[in-house]
Amino acid sequence: MSADVFLFWFLAILTLAGGLTTVLVTNPIYSALSLAFTMIGVSALFVSLNAYFLAGVQLIVYAGAVTVLFVMVLMMFDLKHELITFTRGKISGLVKAGLVALFAGLIVGSVLITSDVFSKSGGAPEAVIGGDTTKALGTILFSKYIFGFEALGVLLLIVAIGAVALARSKGGTHAK
Amino acid sequence: MQNSELIGEIGLTHYLILSALLFVAGMAGVLLRRNAIVILMSVELMLNAVNLSFVAFSHYLGQMDGQVMVFFVMTIAAAEVSVGLAILVSIFKRYKEINVRFFEHLKG
Amino acid sequence: MSQQTLMAILIFAPLVGFFINGFRYKKHSAEVAGTIATGAAVISFISALLMVIDLIGLPAEERRISVQFFDWITIEKLKVVAGFTIDQISAIMVLVVTGVGSLIHLFSIGYMHHDEGVAKYFAYLNLFLFNMLLLILGDNLLVMFVGWEGVGLCSYLLIGFWFTDKQKATAGMKAFITNRVGDAAFLLGMFVLFLTFGTLNFQEINHLVPLTSELTWLAPITMGTLFLFIGATGKSAQIPLYVWLPDAMAGPTPVSALIHAATMVTAGVYMIVRLNPLFMAAPNTMMIIATIGGLTAVMAASIGLTQWDIKKVLAYSTVSQLGYMFLACGVGAFGAALFHLMTHAFFKALMFLGSGSVIHAMHEEQDIRKMGGLKKYLPHTYLTFLIGWLAIIGVPPFAGFFSKDEILWQAFHSPRGHWVFWAMGALGAVMTAFYMTRLMALTFWGESRFSKKIHPHESPMIMLIPLFVLAILSAIGGWIGIPHVISEILPGQPGNFLETWLEPMIKTVPGTEHAEPSLEWGLMGISVMLAAISAMTAYHFYVKDPSKPKKIAASLGKLYDVVYNKYYVDEGYFCGIINPLVRLSKGIWFYIDVNFIDKTTYVISDLVRGSGLFVRGIQNGNIQQYAMYIGLGVVATMTYVLMR
Repeated sequence: MSADVFLFWFLAILTLAGGLTTVLVTNPIYSALSLAFTMIGVSALFVSLNAYFLAGVQLIVYAGAVTVLFVMVLMMFDLKHELITFTRGKISGLVKAGLVALFAGLIVGSVLITSDVFSKSGGAPEAVIGGDTTKALGTILFSKYIFGFEALGVLLLIVAIGAVALARSKGGTHAK
Repeated sequence: MQNSELIGEIGLTHYLILSALLFVAGMAGVLLRRNAIVILMSVELMLNAVNLSFVAFSHYLGQMDGQVMVFFVMTIAAAEVSVGLAILVSIFKRYKEINVRFFEHLKG
Repeated sequence: MSQQTLMAILIFAPLVGFFINGFRYKKHSAEVAGTIATGAAVISFISALLMVIDLIGLPAEERRISVQFFDWITIEKLKVVAGFTIDQISAIMVLVVTGVGSLIHLFSIGYMHHDEGVAKYFAYLNLFLFNMLLLILGDNLLVMFVGWEGVGLCSYLLIGFWFTDKQKATAGMKAFITNRVGDAAFLLGMFVLFLTFGTLNFQEINHLVPLTSELTWLAPITMGTLFLFIGATGKSAQIPLYVWLPDAMAGPTPVSALIHAATMVTAGVYMIVRLNPLFMAAPNTMMIIATIGGLTAVMAASIGLTQWDIKKVLAYSTVSQLGYMFLACGVGAFGAALFHLMTHAFFKALMFLGSGSVIHAMHEEQDIRKMGGLKKYLPHTYLTFLIGWLAIIGVPPFAGFFSKDEILWQAFHSPRGHWVFWAMGALGAVMTAFYMTRLMALTFWGESRFSKKIHPHESPMIMLIPLFVLAILSAIGGWIGIPHVISEILPGQPGNFLETWLEPMIKTVPGTEHAEPSLEWGLMGISVMLAAISAMTAYHFYVKDPSKPKKIAASLGKLYDVVYNKYYVDEGYFCGIINPLVRLSKGIWFYIDVNFIDKTTYVISDLVRGSGLFVRGIQNGNIQQYAMYIGLGVVATMTYVLMR
């Protein structure tokens, strides 16, 4: 077992455990913590896939900003406990759980079925991108996807304004 | 594909299955949890799972487009979280309640 | 003034009066409303007079003033014009209606003086006049039908004028429903005639009638005329639809005089005279008409013998006299029918108005048992009533004598006649003389039987003037139709003006022979003698020996009861038609409507509601449930894609 293989399994288990904890834990604070943990795991997986820039962004945006946002909101709500964590209806709960399991089975099954296709059609290890991909990413982002990029900029501006408008107190800072 | 190969040799399939499992975990959270904030977190989880598969495809197919997509998804996810949380905050200020079962105004 | 304008004034003056009084019916007093309404009627009468003078100026063959206002209905073959015609027949009718109508309007001012709804009353009266004019002047069956329905409506409104009294409101409804039966038949008749001739215009129909008579029953003209005649029995109160007219006396007395004696009830006779060539072509229908007319004349007169209500007696008398008119139509003596229609309008309106004057004087008392000896209290009313009495029992030279005698003679002599018809008519005349004398005796002659508290007073001048005018007309109105046998012995030999006047319009029965004058004299003498004997008997019974009638009634026993209760016809209708119909309707309502139709619709609506509720359960507002549906969809799609 090489270092690569070990790293993958290690990170996979870590990430999955984090994800499951996020969903299953009762206290939202622990959920947030597990989420941050999962984000870091995914970031590390990005590194293992040679996507260094994205790994960094992942760390900054998700593990940093988003998680902090969640925690701050939780802090504002000041929830001592949550009485009912999961849906109450037994039948619909069972249906939902069954649905989830079925979905998981379907995706995994389809991935396994199609894995041969990928390995044959140029999905061979030779095509793996090696080295730093940041420069290539930058190039393609500012050429081929420049419109999308600009649109995203506008979107972020709108979101910033919208979030402020939604969450502000009535009357703003000038409230009497 | 032999068992030893499955464990000893990491390929696209592994990443995809990991991504699928993460996605399903997030989906279970969205469907089953009651706390609106936790539901938002689960949504983030699902988005991350998709990101992972994007990057994996990008890596194994030798194309950068997947990574660009991840970049976009991240931006949109961040936007979604900020708006979603802003909505939650204003709802909470008004009703002192964030259990989704409380908000049944979509009732037909 | 052009004829079109004159015709418009003639027809629409009452309508204008109706609108003026109708829209301000709470504000107008009896004087104001009465003046407006009477003015409208008089304007109509003057216009009619002017038009008739114009008509007389025309040569005999072209006496026809037609005015067409607009095309009313044009659907393929059916072309109906809102056109109005004055010819020889409608000229007589329009003069009678507007003339007598004006007098009765005038009388009403006095009679309805104290009533609260007086303006409403005059509005209805004007509306009636308008519709009656439509009926008379319309130059096709459909315009006539509009008037026909309109007078029915006004009759209903006026019978139930004091609608707070349930009995009177019911009488109005009875009249309306009974008329509806006839009107349905009238419509059917119109359909048949339209199918046969392709037109509804009177003149065109009369031109298109084939020369040969129809001998079978199911032939189109026979069917059509029979249906029209059923319509006429409804409006003109003949067997079997006469039952509404006696009850119609619930209305104000001037209304009884105008609508239920002089004008509206004669509409059926008028319609038949209007279409006389058509009826002439259907001998079977004519036979039915004569039989029904004769039977009605006898039966109604016999009921009249036993009634105690002054207006009921007059009502049955009206039914009986209408029977005479139909008898005349049935034997082909259309001129005589129209003649009797006119004289009857005079003397019956006179008698009704006279009875109104009596009722007015007696403070709304109508029972003749509680009257008597009114001669000295109401001298003017008595005088006019006397003339009316002489006219109706057929004493020469009063109006009734000429017209009734003409009918009896024609019933005997006409090729379509029969001595049985003559016998019916004579019997009716005998009974008429009896009950009219009885009415006179109990009301005006003999001892007074009313309580001392009542002090009868003569009516005011405004009510007496119409009585005088009608009395004069009743006395001399018959002179326009003096039969040949009489005119021959009179100085100057006055011609039969009416016969000459109507000649171009009336078809004579084929095969009429010249009759022996002695026969005509003989029959005339017999009927007058019989009537005189009967009248004297009645005078003897009710004035000289008041105990006699009771003895006779007692000796007749059951028969008297049957006649007194009007042959139980109303009860028969209730048993035979109305009650089964009500029961059937209730059954249909309960079993078909409630238990079948309603329940079916309930099941359907419940189904819709139930499915709605079921689908609504899915939309429960729980967003996680919605997310689950998305998941289900995704899983289903993926399963399909993978399984393919």
